[in-house]
Amino acid sequence: MGEETTKKEEEEFEPKIVGFTCNWCTYAAADLAGTSRKKYPPNSRIIRLMCSARLDPMFVLKALLNGADGVFFSGCHPGECHYIKGNYYARRRIAAIRTILKQLGLDNRFKSYWISASEGEKFANTMKGLTEEIKELGPSPLRGKIL
Amino acid sequence: MKGVELKSGDLEGLFKGLLDKKVVDCLILPHRVGNNVAHMMVTDKDKIEPPVPAIFAPSFSVNVANIVKGWLIKEKIGIVAKPCEIRAAIELIKLKQMDKESVLLISVDCPGAFTNQDYADHAEEIGDWVDSAKIEELKGKGIAIREACEICDKRLADVGDIGIVRQDGDNVVVVGITDMGVEALSAIEDISLEDKDIDRSGEIEKIVSEAKKKKDALPEISSVEALEEFLRDCIVCKNCRDMCPVCYCKECFFDQPLGNPVGGDLLNIAELRGAIAVPANQLMYHLTRVYHVSTTCVGCGACEDACPKDIPLTRLYPVITKKVQEIFEYVPGKDVEEPLPFTVYEEEELEDKLR
Repeated sequence: MGEETTKKEEEEFEPKIVGFTCNWCTYAAADLAGTSRKKYPPNSRIIRLMCSARLDPMFVLKALLNGADGVFFSGCHPGECHYIKGNYYARRRIAAIRTILKQLGLDNRFKSYWISASEGEKFANTMKGLTEEIKELGPSPLRGKIL
Repeated sequence: MKGVELKSGDLEGLFKGLLDKKVVDCLILPHRVGNNVAHMMVTDKDKIEPPVPAIFAPSFSVNVANIVKGWLIKEKIGIVAKPCEIRAAIELIKLKQMDKESVLLISVDCPGAFTNQDYADHAEEIGDWVDSAKIEELKGKGIAIREACEICDKRLADVGDIGIVRQDGDNVVVVGITDMGVEALSAIEDISLEDKDIDRSGEIEKIVSEAKKKKDALPEISSVEALEEFLRDCIVCKNCRDMCPVCYCKECFFDQPLGNPVGGDLLNIAELRGAIAVPANQLMYHLTRVYHVSTTCVGCGACEDACPKDIPLTRLYPVITKKVQEIFEYVPGKDVEEPLPFTVYEEEELEDKLR
C-alpha cells in the first residue's frame, strides 16, 4: 500500500515555481499570453521586477531554501534592455549563482530565459516546458525541511 | 624588473629606511609575541625589532587586509604580509574600501602556514624559514599546514608594489613590482637597485600542480544534504564574516531584521511553516556569503580559523568560489587595474551558463 500511495503522490505532484520577470518584457509577454488566451500551466507565481538587474541572487536562494520546486527568471533579450545594460549585468550574476547551485545539484531548478514583450506564445511554451521539467525532477529536496 | 639582493637580516634596515625617508607613515608587519607571531603597526623606526625574519614565519594570525579595510585615510600605510593578504588588499582597493595611493603593499614569499596552536607548540622545531622539504618532514610528525594553505597555488611574492623573494640560504631578493614600489625602494639610501630577472615559472608550476592534487583530494560538498551535514554544527555566530577580508558591507543583511529575525518575527515565520531552525537562516547565510565573495575570495582561510565550531570552511568558500572565478577567468588580487567581474560585461557571453 505504501508503494501505491507514493506513486499516487508522484502523479499528483504539482510543482510550485517562483518566477522573477522584468516589467518591460516578460511581464508584458505574460500579459499578452493571457489576453491572447494561450493556455499554460498555472504552477508559476510571478514576481515583477523593474529590470533584470533587480534580480538579486539572494531572491533565488531564498525561494529555493523556502521550498520552491523551481525558480525562473526572464528578462529582455541581451541588447534590448529598457535601461540599456541591466540584463548584461544580470547575466553575469545569474551565471555566478548557477555555478554555486550547480555545486549543490540545484542548478536544474533555476532557469533563466530571454522573452520579449511580443513573445506571448514563447512565454506560454516556456512555462509548459519548465513545468514539465520540474515535474520530472520531483519535489525539491528542500521542501518541508526545518531550515 | 628592478630589485636588490639582501641578507634576510638586512630587511630590518630596509623597513627602517621606508619609515626614515617618510616613504610610508607607518608600517604594519608581523612580529614575535611569545612563541607566536602577530602584527604590529609601527611609526617609530627604532621600534622595528630584530629578528625581522618573523615576516617569513609560517603562521597566520589575521588577514591584515581585514584590519585596514575601510580606512580611507590620507597617510600612507606600508603593509608587509603574505601574498593572500596582499591579494585581499588589492580586492579591497577595487571595492573602494581602500585608497590605492595610500597603501604600499609588500608581499613576502609564503611556504604555507601552520595553525596558531601547532606553530606555538612547535615554534622552535618549525623555525622561521621552512621549505617544502621541511614541511614534509614536519607532516610526518603530525604537524601539518592549514588546509587553506595546502590548496593555495598563489603563494609567491609576485603581487603588490614590492615583493620579497626568498633565495637559497638566508638570501632574499627585494623587487619593485609597480612603479610605486620601485620609487619607494630607490628612496632608501643604502640600497642600489639593479636589473633583476627572476624566472620562477618552474617553481610556480610545481606549486600549482601540488595544490591541485591536494584540492582534488578534499571531500567535496556536492549536494544540499552534504551542505546541511557540513554545516551541522554552525551556530551562525558570523565570525567567518567578521574575519573575512573581502566581506565588506557596512551593514550586513544578516544583522538586519529580515536576515536575522528575532522575537515576534521569528514566531510568525515558525507559525507559517510549522517549525523553523534556530538560530535562523543558517544555509541562507552561508550560501549568500558564498555568492557575495564569489569573485573576490582569495582563499586565505581566515573564515576557517575564525570558526568556533571548527567547521573546515576552506572546503566551502575557496573551493566553490574558485569555480565562479573560473567562468569569468578572474584571479582575485592579481591586478589592481583589472575590473571586478560584476562591474563589467561583454555583449555576447555566458549563454551556456543560464539554463
